[in-house]
Amino acid sequence: MRLTRRDRLVLFAPVAVLLTGWLVLPALLGLFATFTTYAPFGAAIRFSGLDNYAAVLRDGEFGAAVRNIAVFTVVAVPLELAIGFALAYLLRRPIGGRWLWRVLLLVPWLVSPVANGVMWRFLFGSATGLIDFGLGWLGRPDIPSPVGDLRLALPATVAVEVWRIAPFVAFLVLPGLSSIPSERWEDATLNGASWTRKVLDVALPSVRPLLLAITMLLIGLSLGTFDGVLILTGGGPGTSTVTPALYSYKQAFGVNDWPTGAASAWLIAAGVIGAGLVYLRVARTGQSG
Amino acid sequence: MSGLPAQRRRNGAARAILLTAALAVFMLPLAWTALAAIGLRANNNTRPPSWVGSPTLDYFREVGIAEPSFWQELATSTVSAACAAALTVTASLPAAYGLARSHFRGDRLLTQGFLVLASLPAMAYVIPLSDLMRRAQLVDTFAGVILTEAAVTAPLAIYVLHGALSQLSSEWEEAAWLDGAGLFRVIGQIVAPLAAPSIVATAIIVFVLDWNLLLVPLVLTAGEIKTIPLAMSDFFTFERELEWPTAAAALIISLVPVAVLVMVFHRVLDRFALNVPRVD
Repeated sequence: MRLTRRDRLVLFAPVAVLLTGWLVLPALLGLFATFTTYAPFGAAIRFSGLDNYAAVLRDGEFGAAVRNIAVFTVVAVPLELAIGFALAYLLRRPIGGRWLWRVLLLVPWLVSPVANGVMWRFLFGSATGLIDFGLGWLGRPDIPSPVGDLRLALPATVAVEVWRIAPFVAFLVLPGLSSIPSERWEDATLNGASWTRKVLDVALPSVRPLLLAITMLLIGLSLGTFDGVLILTGGGPGTSTVTPALYSYKQAFGVNDWPTGAASAWLIAAGVIGAGLVYLRVARTGQSG
Repeated sequence: MSGLPAQRRRNGAARAILLTAALAVFMLPLAWTALAAIGLRANNNTRPPSWVGSPTLDYFREVGIAEPSFWQELATSTVSAACAAALTVTASLPAAYGLARSHFRGDRLLTQGFLVLASLPAMAYVIPLSDLMRRAQLVDTFAGVILTEAAVTAPLAIYVLHGALSQLSSEWEEAAWLDGAGLFRVIGQIVAPLAAPSIVATAIIVFVLDWNLLLVPLVLTAGEIKTIPLAMSDFFTFERELEWPTAAAALIISLVPVAVLVMVFHRVLDRFALNVPRVD
């Protein structure tokens, strides 16, 4: 094309400054700092090898956080994708007021994770909450809030996140599904394809790259879960809903243990980068095939 | 073949029922909250459960009493999210254009790399960033918060805008180049107007992301700059005494601006799509 090397330099300069200064540089500085005793107000910096990582990995709370986020991601991401895809599939053909549907799909995502935590704390609570209201109508006794229960807190956290994100996934998948030419649906119908065959043979292959991209975003979102649990459970009860990001935050800003905070934050980044490398590979093989 | 229309009608009915059920599930919690905000609460202590209270707007006034600076925080959130979204889009558009209109080794990898960068949780870099910002004396300033939020959302904006721009025909640009127009004239007068719906849609989605961001203001401010999520988080971390209707009112107020934005620009938001780079 007509863009010269100089043009490209000019075009990329603003974003390069922004991303270098506020994202890449801090991230790399952080990575470097995790191998030292560096702290914001500390005087001398010493090289400490892998001590910080060893300290983090020895900490039982971080172990619990890793286990929690693994369960959270493995359950939440497929559920969000499945529900989001199903909603988008139902909306794929023109329907009265589709724009309104698409706007409504965005609404749960408009609620900030913090506000969402506040809301569900009350909805789960017994006095005026949603769950006990339903149980009451069925003539069943009240149950204690699941977010205060050792075994139910993590599933409740996952459910709340799925409620917030699944419709947003539908919002993202819908343009992909509605751009499939209508003849392909007609053909499938004429050939007597069941709806499962239509999903598998018509819908999924067309939106595969889109679903992969959404999966990448969801994995990052999930692994970084912080404000979603901060208010809803605060990581509790015990360590049943603590996440690596919450752990990092508490270490760095709660007990001022800067190096372990940064080290555990880098372990989250490593997880996302690992997922990213897989994504780049899978996305590429999809393109050549 | 006579069975086809009947089957289609049956499918249509099934679809309407499923969609309505899904809508009910996803809207019920918010409806519950909205009712509480206007004073209508469930009472689960009776059998069967009943409703108490009469419609009132008192709880919205109560928000300003429980958190006297709430309205100022609303303004802070609006200004910082608007500035950050504007900065994100302004910086991302040229980069997205550069990516969409040039072919070099690894350009697709770079584009997909921006998606991976967009997935990177802010936690991965805010701890060192807070120290850098303190050294640069940008802690607790609008500039610090806005620049950081812009950096957090820029990778996603580049990815989305790249998708929109690569679908744009380059015919008009070619004509402008031939007329001797410069780079910024082409972007400002040809590309931006043609891609305006996608640009506005991206700006709105980025605005919502910034509006709801907690970690960045939490780590980079010390009380001076306070956004709504930060105020809510402080409130519920330190004093959990707030009554449900007042909390619900605060929640509804924080939701209304973005909900209105999305309603007003719904036509434009139809253009928001994560377009995945195609094979050529």
